[in-house]
Amino acid sequence: MQYNERLQFIYTNPTKIVFGKGAVKEVGYEAEKLGGSRALVVTDTDLAKTDLVERVKTFLGKRCAGVFAEVVQDTGVHIVDKGAAYGKSIGADLVVSVGGGSSIDTGKGIAILLKEGGKLHDYAAQFNALTRPQTPHIVIPTTAGTGSEVTYAAVIKDHERKQKLLVVDYNIIPNVGILDPEMTAGMPPRLTAATGMDALTHAIEAIHSAQCEPISDAMALHAIRLIHTYLPIAVARGGDLVARGQMLIAACIAGVAFSNAQVGVVHALAHSVGARCGVPHGVANSILLPYGMSFNKDTCPDRYALVAEALGISRAGISDEEASSRAIEEIKRFSSSIGLPQRLREVQVPKEILRELAELSLYDGSLVYNPKPAFDADLLEKILEEAW
Amino acid sequence: MALKVFSEEWIKAYKDAINKSAYRDAGKDWRAGPVSLVVLANPDIGLSQDVGIWLDLHEGVCREASVCDRQKASTAPFCITGEYSQWKQVLLKELDPIKGMMQGKLKLKGDLPTIVRYVKAAQELVNAASTLETEFLD
Repeated sequence: MQYNERLQFIYTNPTKIVFGKGAVKEVGYEAEKLGGSRALVVTDTDLAKTDLVERVKTFLGKRCAGVFAEVVQDTGVHIVDKGAAYGKSIGADLVVSVGGGSSIDTGKGIAILLKEGGKLHDYAAQFNALTRPQTPHIVIPTTAGTGSEVTYAAVIKDHERKQKLLVVDYNIIPNVGILDPEMTAGMPPRLTAATGMDALTHAIEAIHSAQCEPISDAMALHAIRLIHTYLPIAVARGGDLVARGQMLIAACIAGVAFSNAQVGVVHALAHSVGARCGVPHGVANSILLPYGMSFNKDTCPDRYALVAEALGISRAGISDEEASSRAIEEIKRFSSSIGLPQRLREVQVPKEILRELAELSLYDGSLVYNPKPAFDADLLEKILEEAW
Repeated sequence: MALKVFSEEWIKAYKDAINKSAYRDAGKDWRAGPVSLVVLANPDIGLSQDVGIWLDLHEGVCREASVCDRQKASTAPFCITGEYSQWKQVLLKELDPIKGMMQGKLKLKGDLPTIVRYVKAAQELVNAASTLETEFLD
Protein backbone atom coordinates (compact mmCIF):
# COMPACT_ATOMS: atom_id res chain seq x y z
CA MET A 1 0.00 0.00 0.00
CA GLN A 2 2.91 2.34 -0.58
CA TYR A 3 1.89 5.57 -2.30
CA ASN A 4 2.98 5.78 -5.90
CA GLU A 5 2.49 7.98 -8.95
CA ARG A 6 -1.13 6.81 -9.22
CA LEU A 7 -2.09 8.49 -5.94
CA GLN A 8 -5.24 10.58 -6.42
CA PHE A 9 -7.54 11.86 -3.73
CA ILE A 10 -9.96 14.56 -2.69
CA TYR A 11 -9.55 16.03 0.75
CA THR A 12 -12.37 18.00 2.37
CA ASN A 13 -12.38 19.65 5.75
CA PRO A 14 -14.67 22.69 5.78
CA THR A 15 -15.50 22.88 9.50
CA LYS A 16 -14.14 25.85 11.42
CA ILE A 17 -12.71 24.68 14.74
CA VAL A 18 -12.70 26.90 17.83
CA PHE A 19 -10.71 25.31 20.65
CA GLY A 20 -9.89 26.17 24.24
CA LYS A 21 -10.97 26.17 27.82
CA GLY A 22 -14.04 28.36 27.93
CA ALA A 23 -14.38 28.36 24.13
CA VAL A 24 -18.11 27.81 24.51
CA LYS A 25 -18.44 31.53 25.15
CA GLU A 26 -17.67 32.04 21.45
CA VAL A 27 -20.96 30.44 20.43
CA GLY A 28 -22.77 33.79 20.18
CA TYR A 29 -20.05 35.28 18.01
CA GLU A 30 -20.00 32.23 15.75
CA ALA A 31 -23.79 32.29 15.50
CA GLU A 32 -23.62 35.90 14.40
CA LYS A 33 -20.93 35.13 11.82
CA LEU A 34 -23.20 32.47 10.36
CA GLY A 35 -26.07 34.93 10.16
CA GLY A 36 -28.13 33.09 12.74
CA SER A 37 -30.46 35.16 14.85
CA ARG A 38 -32.76 32.39 16.12
CA ALA A 39 -30.80 29.39 17.32
CA LEU A 40 -32.35 26.05 18.12
CA VAL A 41 -30.28 24.26 20.76
CA VAL A 42 -30.45 20.48 20.32
CA THR A 43 -29.41 18.31 23.23
CA ASP A 44 -30.26 15.17 25.15
CA THR A 45 -32.52 14.66 28.12
CA ASP A 46 -29.67 14.09 30.59
CA LEU A 47 -27.50 17.01 29.50
CA ALA A 48 -30.49 19.32 29.71
CA LYS A 49 -30.41 18.76 33.48
CA THR A 50 -26.79 19.94 33.75
CA ASP A 51 -25.38 23.44 33.58
CA LEU A 52 -23.68 22.71 30.23
CA VAL A 53 -26.76 23.64 28.23
CA GLU A 54 -27.35 26.67 30.44
CA ARG A 55 -23.87 27.88 29.56
CA VAL A 56 -24.62 27.59 25.88
CA LYS A 57 -27.91 29.43 26.30
CA THR A 58 -26.20 32.17 28.27
CA PHE A 59 -23.55 32.73 25.63
CA LEU A 60 -26.08 32.66 22.82
CA GLY A 61 -28.06 35.32 24.65
CA LYS A 62 -30.97 36.70 22.66
CA ARG A 63 -30.04 34.45 19.76
CA CYS A 64 -31.31 31.41 21.65
CA ALA A 65 -34.84 30.88 20.33
CA GLY A 66 -35.46 27.55 22.05
CA VAL A 67 -34.08 24.29 23.35
CA PHE A 68 -35.05 20.87 22.04
CA ALA A 69 -33.92 18.44 24.73
CA GLU A 70 -35.47 15.16 23.67
CA VAL A 71 -32.51 13.35 22.15
CA VAL A 72 -31.86 9.87 23.54
CA GLN A 73 -29.07 7.33 22.95
CA ASP A 74 -29.53 5.96 19.43
CA THR A 75 -31.53 8.95 18.31
CA GLY A 76 -34.58 8.30 16.18
CA VAL A 77 -36.25 9.49 13.02
CA HIS A 78 -39.26 10.53 15.07
CA ILE A 79 -37.02 12.63 17.32
CA VAL A 80 -35.48 14.44 14.35
CA ASP A 81 -38.92 15.07 12.84
CA LYS A 82 -40.21 16.38 16.17
CA GLY A 83 -37.16 18.60 16.68
CA ALA A 84 -37.50 20.03 13.20
CA ALA A 85 -41.19 20.75 13.73
CA TYR A 86 -40.32 22.57 16.93
CA GLY A 87 -37.53 24.45 15.16
CA LYS A 88 -39.90 25.58 12.44
CA SER A 89 -42.45 26.70 15.02
CA ILE A 90 -39.92 29.03 16.62
CA GLY A 91 -38.49 30.26 13.30
CA ALA A 92 -35.06 28.72 13.86
CA ASP A 93 -32.38 29.70 11.35
CA LEU A 94 -29.44 28.05 13.09
CA VAL A 95 -28.88 24.72 14.85
CA VAL A 96 -26.57 24.45 17.85
CA SER A 97 -26.12 20.86 18.94
CA VAL A 98 -24.71 20.15 22.36
CA GLY A 99 -23.82 16.58 23.32
CA GLY A 100 -22.39 13.36 21.94
CA GLY A 101 -22.88 11.73 18.57
CA SER A 102 -26.60 11.25 19.06
CA SER A 103 -27.31 14.94 19.66
CA ILE A 104 -25.00 16.02 16.85
CA ASP A 105 -26.55 13.61 14.38
CA THR A 106 -30.01 14.79 15.43
CA GLY A 107 -28.81 18.33 14.77
CA LYS A 108 -27.65 17.34 11.29
CA GLY A 109 -31.06 15.83 10.55
CA ILE A 110 -32.90 18.89 11.84
CA ALA A 111 -30.62 21.15 9.79
CA ILE A 112 -31.79 19.33 6.65
CA LEU A 113 -35.48 19.50 7.48
CA LEU A 114 -35.37 23.18 8.42
CA LYS A 115 -33.92 23.92 4.99
CA GLU A 116 -35.59 21.40 2.72
CA GLY A 117 -38.83 20.59 4.54
CA GLY A 118 -40.44 17.16 4.69
CA LYS A 119 -39.57 14.28 6.99
CA LEU A 120 -36.22 12.66 7.58
CA HIS A 121 -37.28 9.50 5.75
CA ASP A 122 -37.39 11.60 2.57
CA TYR A 123 -33.60 12.01 2.80
CA ALA A 124 -32.48 8.69 4.23
CA ALA A 125 -32.64 6.76 0.96
CA GLN A 126 -30.23 9.12 -0.75
CA PHE A 127 -26.53 9.49 -0.91
CA ASN A 128 -24.91 12.87 -1.47
CA ALA A 129 -28.13 13.99 -3.16
CA LEU A 130 -28.62 17.38 -1.44
CA THR A 131 -27.82 20.21 -3.79
CA ARG A 132 -27.17 23.13 -1.45
CA PRO A 133 -25.77 23.99 1.98
CA GLN A 134 -28.16 23.19 4.80
CA THR A 135 -29.19 25.24 7.82
CA PRO A 136 -26.04 26.56 9.54
CA HIS A 137 -24.95 24.21 12.32
CA ILE A 138 -22.64 24.77 15.27
CA VAL A 139 -21.55 21.70 17.21
CA ILE A 140 -20.38 21.66 20.82
CA PRO A 141 -19.29 18.11 21.68
CA THR A 142 -19.54 16.86 25.25
CA THR A 143 -17.80 13.60 24.45
CA ALA A 144 -14.51 13.00 22.67
CA GLY A 145 -14.99 10.17 20.22
CA THR A 146 -17.36 10.46 17.30
CA GLY A 147 -15.72 13.39 15.55
CA SER A 148 -19.20 14.07 14.24
CA GLU A 149 -18.49 17.81 14.31
CA VAL A 150 -16.43 17.32 11.14
CA THR A 151 -18.11 14.42 9.39
CA TYR A 152 -20.66 14.17 6.60
CA ALA A 153 -22.76 11.37 8.04
CA ALA A 154 -25.58 11.05 10.53
CA VAL A 155 -26.78 7.73 11.93
CA ILE A 156 -30.41 7.89 12.95
CA LYS A 157 -32.52 4.95 13.99
CA ASP A 158 -35.97 4.10 12.74
CA HIS A 159 -37.19 2.68 16.04
CA GLU A 160 -40.40 1.37 14.50
CA ARG A 161 -38.62 -0.68 11.85
CA LYS A 162 -35.59 -1.33 14.07
CA GLN A 163 -33.24 -0.06 11.36
CA LYS A 164 -30.37 2.37 11.52
CA LEU A 165 -30.61 4.89 8.71
CA LEU A 166 -27.56 6.53 7.31
CA VAL A 167 -27.85 10.08 6.04
CA VAL A 168 -24.69 10.90 4.14
CA ASP A 169 -24.07 14.17 2.36
CA TYR A 170 -21.25 16.69 2.15
CA ASN A 171 -23.86 19.41 2.65
CA ILE A 172 -24.46 18.32 6.26
CA ILE A 173 -20.90 18.80 7.49
CA PRO A 174 -21.28 21.25 10.38
CA ASN A 175 -20.02 24.79 9.89
CA VAL A 176 -18.36 25.25 13.28
CA GLY A 177 -17.09 22.91 15.99
CA ILE A 178 -16.47 24.46 19.38
CA LEU A 179 -14.12 22.20 21.34
CA ASP A 180 -14.15 23.23 24.98
CA PRO A 181 -12.47 20.81 27.40
CA GLU A 182 -14.71 22.03 30.21
CA MET A 183 -17.71 20.67 28.30
CA THR A 184 -16.31 17.11 28.51
CA ALA A 185 -14.89 17.22 32.04
CA GLY A 186 -17.94 15.63 33.60
CA MET A 187 -17.94 12.56 31.38
CA PRO A 188 -17.74 9.35 33.47
CA PRO A 189 -14.67 7.08 33.10
CA ARG A 190 -16.36 4.27 31.20
CA LEU A 191 -17.90 6.63 28.64
CA THR A 192 -14.58 8.46 28.36
CA ALA A 193 -12.81 5.17 27.65
CA ALA A 194 -15.37 3.90 25.14
CA THR A 195 -15.64 7.13 23.18
CA GLY A 196 -11.85 7.48 23.19
CA MET A 197 -11.51 4.00 21.70
CA ASP A 198 -14.05 4.98 19.08
CA ALA A 199 -11.72 7.81 18.08
CA LEU A 200 -8.73 5.44 18.05
CA THR A 201 -10.65 3.09 15.78
CA HIS A 202 -11.48 5.96 13.42
CA ALA A 203 -7.80 6.85 13.25
CA ILE A 204 -6.51 3.32 12.67
CA GLU A 205 -9.20 2.49 10.13
CA ALA A 206 -8.34 5.69 8.26
CA ILE A 207 -4.73 4.48 8.15
CA HIS A 208 -5.55 1.04 6.75
CA SER A 209 -8.38 2.23 4.47
CA ALA A 210 -8.09 1.51 0.77
CA GLN A 211 -8.71 5.25 0.32
CA CYS A 212 -5.93 6.38 2.67
CA GLU A 213 -3.96 9.44 1.64
CA PRO A 214 -1.13 11.46 3.17
CA ILE A 215 -3.19 14.32 4.65
CA SER A 216 -5.53 11.97 6.46
CA ASP A 217 -2.54 9.89 7.50
CA ALA A 218 -1.06 12.90 9.24
CA MET A 219 -4.31 13.58 11.07
CA ALA A 220 -4.82 9.95 12.03
CA LEU A 221 -1.29 9.29 13.21
CA HIS A 222 -1.32 12.33 15.45
CA ALA A 223 -4.71 11.33 16.79
CA ILE A 224 -3.25 7.93 17.71
CA ARG A 225 -0.35 9.60 19.55
CA LEU A 226 -2.69 11.90 21.46
CA ILE A 227 -5.12 9.13 22.40
CA HIS A 228 -2.32 6.81 23.53
CA THR A 229 -0.96 9.53 25.77
CA TYR A 230 -4.04 11.30 27.05
CA LEU A 231 -6.92 8.82 27.13
CA PRO A 232 -5.64 6.97 30.21
CA ILE A 233 -5.26 10.33 31.99
CA ALA A 234 -8.76 11.46 31.01
CA VAL A 235 -10.17 8.16 32.25
CA ALA A 236 -8.29 8.30 35.55
CA ARG A 237 -8.70 12.03 36.21
CA GLY A 238 -11.73 13.37 34.47
CA GLY A 239 -11.08 16.91 35.62
CA ASP A 240 -7.69 17.10 33.88
CA LEU A 241 -8.51 19.72 31.27
CA VAL A 242 -5.26 19.21 29.38
CA ALA A 243 -6.11 15.55 28.79
CA ARG A 244 -9.74 16.44 28.03
CA GLY A 245 -8.68 19.06 25.52
CA GLN A 246 -6.16 16.82 23.79
CA MET A 247 -8.78 14.08 23.54
CA LEU A 248 -11.23 16.51 21.94
CA ILE A 249 -8.57 17.40 19.40
CA ALA A 250 -7.74 13.73 18.83
CA ALA A 251 -11.39 12.84 18.23
CA CYS A 252 -11.78 15.80 15.89
CA ILE A 253 -8.74 15.06 13.73
CA ALA A 254 -9.53 11.33 13.70
CA GLY A 255 -12.96 12.41 12.44
CA VAL A 256 -11.38 14.47 9.69
CA ALA A 257 -9.14 11.52 8.80
CA PHE A 258 -11.87 8.93 8.50
CA SER A 259 -14.31 11.31 6.89
CA ASN A 260 -11.83 11.56 4.03
CA ALA A 261 -10.15 8.16 4.04
CA GLN A 262 -13.21 6.20 5.28
CA VAL A 263 -13.28 3.22 7.61
CA GLY A 264 -13.31 -0.54 7.10
CA VAL A 265 -14.21 -3.94 8.43
CA VAL A 266 -14.08 -2.99 12.11
CA HIS A 267 -16.83 -0.41 11.67
CA ALA A 268 -18.88 -2.69 9.43
CA LEU A 269 -18.93 -5.33 12.17
CA ALA A 270 -19.34 -2.83 15.01
CA HIS A 271 -22.40 -1.31 13.33
CA SER A 272 -24.04 -4.74 13.20
CA VAL A 273 -23.11 -5.57 16.79
CA GLY A 274 -24.53 -2.22 17.88
CA ALA A 275 -27.72 -2.47 15.87
CA ARG A 276 -28.52 -6.08 16.76
CA CYS A 277 -27.21 -6.34 20.33
CA GLY A 278 -27.28 -2.76 21.59
CA VAL A 279 -23.57 -2.68 22.35
CA PRO A 280 -22.37 0.95 22.50
CA HIS A 281 -20.49 1.87 19.33
CA GLY A 282 -17.22 2.72 21.07
CA VAL A 283 -17.22 -0.53 23.03
CA ALA A 284 -17.95 -2.61 19.94
CA ASN A 285 -15.18 -0.85 18.02
CA SER A 286 -12.78 -1.30 20.90
CA ILE A 287 -13.37 -5.05 21.09
CA LEU A 288 -13.28 -5.63 17.33
CA LEU A 289 -10.35 -3.37 16.43
CA PRO A 290 -7.49 -5.82 17.13
CA TYR A 291 -9.33 -8.66 15.40
CA GLY A 292 -10.08 -6.56 12.33
CA MET A 293 -6.41 -5.56 12.22
CA SER A 294 -5.33 -9.20 12.50
CA PHE A 295 -7.56 -10.00 9.53
CA ASN A 296 -5.97 -7.21 7.47
CA LYS A 297 -2.42 -7.60 8.72
CA ASP A 298 -1.02 -9.54 5.78
CA THR A 299 -2.40 -6.96 3.33
CA CYS A 300 -1.07 -3.77 4.92
CA PRO A 301 1.75 -4.46 7.38
CA ASP A 302 3.46 -1.23 6.32
CA ARG A 303 0.39 0.74 7.41
CA TYR A 304 0.21 -0.98 10.78
CA ALA A 305 3.93 -0.37 11.24
CA LEU A 306 3.06 3.34 11.13
CA VAL A 307 0.39 2.71 13.75
CA ALA A 308 2.94 0.86 15.90
CA GLU A 309 5.27 3.82 15.74
CA ALA A 310 2.48 6.20 16.76
CA LEU A 311 1.73 3.88 19.67
CA GLY A 312 5.31 4.35 20.86
CA ILE A 313 6.63 0.97 19.67
CA SER A 314 10.18 1.08 18.40
CA ARG A 315 10.53 -0.26 14.88
CA ALA A 316 14.27 -0.59 15.11
CA GLY A 317 15.37 -3.98 13.86
CA ILE A 318 11.89 -5.42 13.38
CA SER A 319 9.91 -6.12 10.24
CA ASP A 320 6.64 -4.43 9.35
CA GLU A 321 4.89 -7.70 10.09
CA GLU A 322 6.38 -7.87 13.58
CA ALA A 323 5.55 -4.19 14.17
CA SER A 324 1.96 -4.92 13.13
CA SER A 325 1.70 -7.77 15.61
CA ARG A 326 3.08 -5.60 18.38
CA ALA A 327 0.62 -2.82 17.51
CA ILE A 328 -2.27 -5.26 17.78
CA GLU A 329 -1.06 -6.53 21.15
CA GLU A 330 -0.58 -2.97 22.38
CA ILE A 331 -4.14 -2.07 21.45
CA LYS A 332 -5.45 -5.02 23.46
CA ARG A 333 -3.31 -4.04 26.43
CA PHE A 334 -4.35 -0.41 26.11
CA SER A 335 -8.10 -1.00 26.00
CA SER A 336 -7.84 -3.43 28.90
CA SER A 337 -5.87 -0.89 30.92
CA ILE A 338 -8.70 1.63 30.66
CA GLY A 339 -11.24 -0.91 31.83
CA LEU A 340 -12.99 -1.88 28.62
CA PRO A 341 -14.26 -5.39 27.83
CA GLN A 342 -12.08 -7.51 25.58
CA ARG A 343 -14.52 -9.99 24.14
CA LEU A 344 -17.95 -9.89 22.55
CA ARG A 345 -19.18 -12.49 25.03
CA GLU A 346 -18.45 -10.04 27.85
CA VAL A 347 -21.00 -7.63 26.39
CA GLN A 348 -23.69 -10.30 26.06
CA VAL A 349 -23.41 -10.95 22.35
CA PRO A 350 -24.81 -14.49 21.92
CA LYS A 351 -22.51 -16.82 19.99
CA GLU A 352 -25.49 -18.17 18.05
CA ILE A 353 -26.02 -14.88 16.22
CA LEU A 354 -22.49 -14.35 14.93
CA ARG A 355 -23.46 -15.65 11.50
CA GLU A 356 -26.42 -13.27 11.40
CA LEU A 357 -24.13 -10.39 12.37
CA ALA A 358 -21.69 -11.35 9.63
CA GLU A 359 -24.44 -11.38 7.02
CA LEU A 360 -25.83 -8.06 8.24
CA SER A 361 -22.36 -6.53 7.92
CA LEU A 362 -22.30 -7.33 4.20
CA TYR A 363 -24.71 -4.41 3.75
CA ASP A 364 -22.37 -1.90 5.38
CA GLY A 365 -20.64 0.63 3.16
CA SER A 366 -17.55 0.55 5.35
CA LEU A 367 -16.55 -2.76 3.77
CA VAL A 368 -15.96 -1.01 0.46
CA TYR A 369 -12.81 0.59 1.83
CA ASN A 370 -11.34 -2.29 3.77
CA PRO A 371 -7.81 -2.92 2.51
CA LYS A 372 -8.47 -6.64 2.16
CA PRO A 373 -11.61 -7.81 0.33
CA ALA A 374 -14.12 -8.77 2.99
CA PHE A 375 -17.41 -9.23 1.15
CA ASP A 376 -17.72 -12.77 2.40
CA ALA A 377 -19.90 -13.82 5.32
CA ASP A 378 -17.54 -16.71 6.17
CA LEU A 379 -14.59 -14.35 6.59
CA LEU A 380 -16.60 -11.91 8.68
CA GLU A 381 -17.99 -14.66 10.86
CA LYS A 382 -14.45 -15.87 11.53
CA ILE A 383 -13.41 -12.40 12.74
CA LEU A 384 -16.45 -12.29 15.00
CA GLU A 385 -15.70 -15.75 16.37
CA GLU A 386 -12.17 -14.70 17.20
CA ALA A 387 -13.46 -11.60 18.95
CA TRP A 388 -16.11 -13.57 20.81
CA MET B 1 -17.30 -0.19 -35.11
CA ALA B 2 -17.24 2.16 -32.17
CA LEU B 3 -20.66 3.14 -30.83
CA LYS B 4 -21.40 6.62 -29.59
CA VAL B 5 -21.58 6.49 -25.80
CA PHE B 6 -25.09 6.60 -24.26
CA SER B 7 -26.75 6.33 -27.70
CA GLU B 8 -29.61 3.86 -28.34
CA GLU B 9 -27.16 1.55 -30.15
CA TRP B 10 -24.63 1.71 -27.37
CA ILE B 11 -27.25 0.92 -24.75
CA LYS B 12 -28.56 -2.05 -26.77
CA ALA B 13 -25.01 -3.37 -27.09
CA TYR B 14 -24.52 -2.77 -23.39
CA LYS B 15 -27.54 -4.92 -22.58
CA ASP B 16 -26.10 -7.75 -24.67
CA ALA B 17 -22.70 -7.34 -23.03
CA ILE B 18 -24.25 -7.53 -19.55
CA ASN B 19 -26.09 -10.70 -20.42
CA LYS B 20 -22.91 -12.35 -21.67
CA SER B 21 -20.81 -11.21 -18.72
CA ALA B 22 -19.90 -12.37 -15.23
CA TYR B 23 -22.73 -10.13 -14.03
CA ARG B 24 -25.04 -13.09 -14.56
CA ASP B 25 -23.46 -14.78 -11.57
CA ALA B 26 -22.57 -11.70 -9.47
CA GLY B 27 -26.09 -10.29 -9.76
CA LYS B 28 -28.02 -13.54 -9.59
CA ASP B 29 -29.65 -12.59 -6.26
CA TRP B 30 -30.56 -9.05 -7.29
CA ARG B 31 -34.31 -8.60 -6.96
CA ALA B 32 -34.34 -4.96 -5.86
CA GLY B 33 -35.63 -3.59 -9.17
CA PRO B 34 -34.40 -1.45 -12.04
CA VAL B 35 -31.39 0.81 -11.83
CA SER B 36 -31.25 4.06 -13.76
CA LEU B 37 -28.21 6.12 -14.62
CA VAL B 38 -28.51 9.83 -15.34
CA VAL B 39 -25.84 11.65 -17.32
CA LEU B 40 -26.19 15.37 -16.67
CA ALA B 41 -26.47 17.72 -19.62
CA ASN B 42 -23.25 19.18 -20.98
CA PRO B 43 -23.93 21.33 -24.08
CA ASP B 44 -20.19 21.80 -24.69
CA ILE B 45 -19.93 18.19 -25.85
CA GLY B 46 -23.36 17.96 -27.47
CA LEU B 47 -25.39 16.70 -24.53
CA SER B 48 -28.12 19.32 -24.66
CA GLN B 49 -30.23 17.63 -21.99
CA ASP B 50 -29.89 15.06 -19.26
CA VAL B 51 -29.78 11.49 -20.57
CA GLY B 52 -31.33 8.66 -18.58
CA ILE B 53 -30.41 5.00 -19.02
CA TRP B 54 -32.91 2.49 -17.71
CA LEU B 55 -31.54 -0.92 -16.79
CA ASP B 56 -34.14 -3.46 -15.78
CA LEU B 57 -31.92 -5.86 -13.84
CA HIS B 58 -33.32 -8.99 -12.27
CA GLU B 59 -31.59 -12.12 -10.99
CA GLY B 60 -28.45 -11.62 -13.02
CA VAL B 61 -30.20 -10.70 -16.26
CA CYS B 62 -30.67 -7.34 -17.93
CA ARG B 63 -34.26 -7.69 -19.14
CA GLU B 64 -34.43 -4.26 -20.70
CA ALA B 65 -32.04 -1.41 -21.39
CA SER B 66 -33.27 1.82 -22.91
CA VAL B 67 -32.76 5.54 -23.09
CA CYS B 68 -35.23 7.49 -20.99
CA ASP B 69 -35.79 11.01 -19.80
CA ARG B 70 -34.75 12.23 -16.40
CA GLN B 71 -38.26 12.06 -15.06
CA LYS B 72 -38.63 8.37 -15.80
CA ALA B 73 -35.11 7.67 -14.57
CA SER B 74 -35.97 9.20 -11.21
CA THR B 75 -38.75 6.65 -10.71
CA ALA B 76 -36.32 3.71 -10.57
CA PRO B 77 -35.67 2.33 -7.07
CA PHE B 78 -32.00 3.14 -7.65
CA CYS B 79 -31.11 6.26 -9.59
CA ILE B 80 -27.45 7.24 -9.91
CA THR B 81 -26.70 10.70 -11.27
CA GLY B 82 -23.42 12.18 -12.36
CA GLU B 83 -21.61 14.50 -14.71
CA TYR B 84 -20.49 13.12 -18.08
CA SER B 85 -16.86 13.32 -17.01
CA GLN B 86 -17.52 11.12 -13.97
CA TRP B 87 -19.40 8.52 -16.02
CA LYS B 88 -16.58 8.49 -18.53
CA GLN B 89 -14.18 7.74 -15.68
CA VAL B 90 -16.45 4.91 -14.58
CA LEU B 91 -16.54 3.43 -18.10
CA LEU B 92 -12.78 3.68 -18.35
CA LYS B 93 -12.57 1.90 -14.98
CA GLU B 94 -10.78 4.89 -13.48
CA LEU B 95 -13.56 5.43 -10.93
CA ASP B 96 -15.18 2.64 -8.96
CA PRO B 97 -18.91 3.41 -9.04
CA ILE B 98 -19.50 2.55 -5.37
CA LYS B 99 -16.56 4.68 -4.28
CA GLY B 100 -17.77 7.42 -6.60
CA MET B 101 -21.08 7.44 -4.74
CA MET B 102 -19.40 7.54 -1.39
CA GLN B 103 -17.15 10.38 -2.48
CA GLY B 104 -20.10 12.39 -3.74
CA LYS B 105 -18.97 12.26 -7.38
CA LEU B 106 -22.07 10.26 -8.22
CA LYS B 107 -25.34 10.92 -6.43
CA LEU B 108 -27.48 8.00 -5.40
CA LYS B 109 -31.19 8.03 -4.79
CA GLY B 110 -31.90 4.63 -3.34
CA ASP B 111 -30.77 2.36 -0.56
CA LEU B 112 -26.97 2.41 -0.36
CA PRO B 113 -26.66 -0.73 1.81
CA THR B 114 -28.43 -2.74 -0.90
CA ILE B 115 -26.03 -1.41 -3.52
CA VAL B 116 -23.08 -2.12 -1.26
CA ARG B 117 -24.22 -5.71 -0.85
CA TYR B 118 -23.86 -6.08 -4.61
CA VAL B 119 -20.52 -4.36 -5.02
CA LYS B 120 -19.18 -7.24 -7.14
CA ALA B 121 -22.24 -7.04 -9.38
CA ALA B 122 -21.69 -3.29 -9.81
CA GLN B 123 -18.10 -3.95 -10.81
CA GLU B 124 -19.23 -6.55 -13.33
CA LEU B 125 -21.66 -4.04 -14.85
CA VAL B 126 -18.73 -1.70 -15.36
CA ASN B 127 -16.59 -4.52 -16.73
CA ALA B 128 -19.35 -5.31 -19.23
CA ALA B 129 -19.47 -1.68 -20.35
CA SER B 130 -15.72 -1.59 -20.78
CA THR B 131 -15.88 -4.44 -23.30
CA LEU B 132 -17.77 -2.19 -25.72
CA GLU B 133 -15.93 -0.28 -28.39
CA THR B 134 -17.03 3.17 -27.32
CA GLU B 135 -16.78 6.55 -29.00
CA PHE B 136 -16.80 9.22 -26.30
CA LEU B 137 -18.26 12.65 -26.82
CA ASP B 138 -15.13 14.64 -25.97
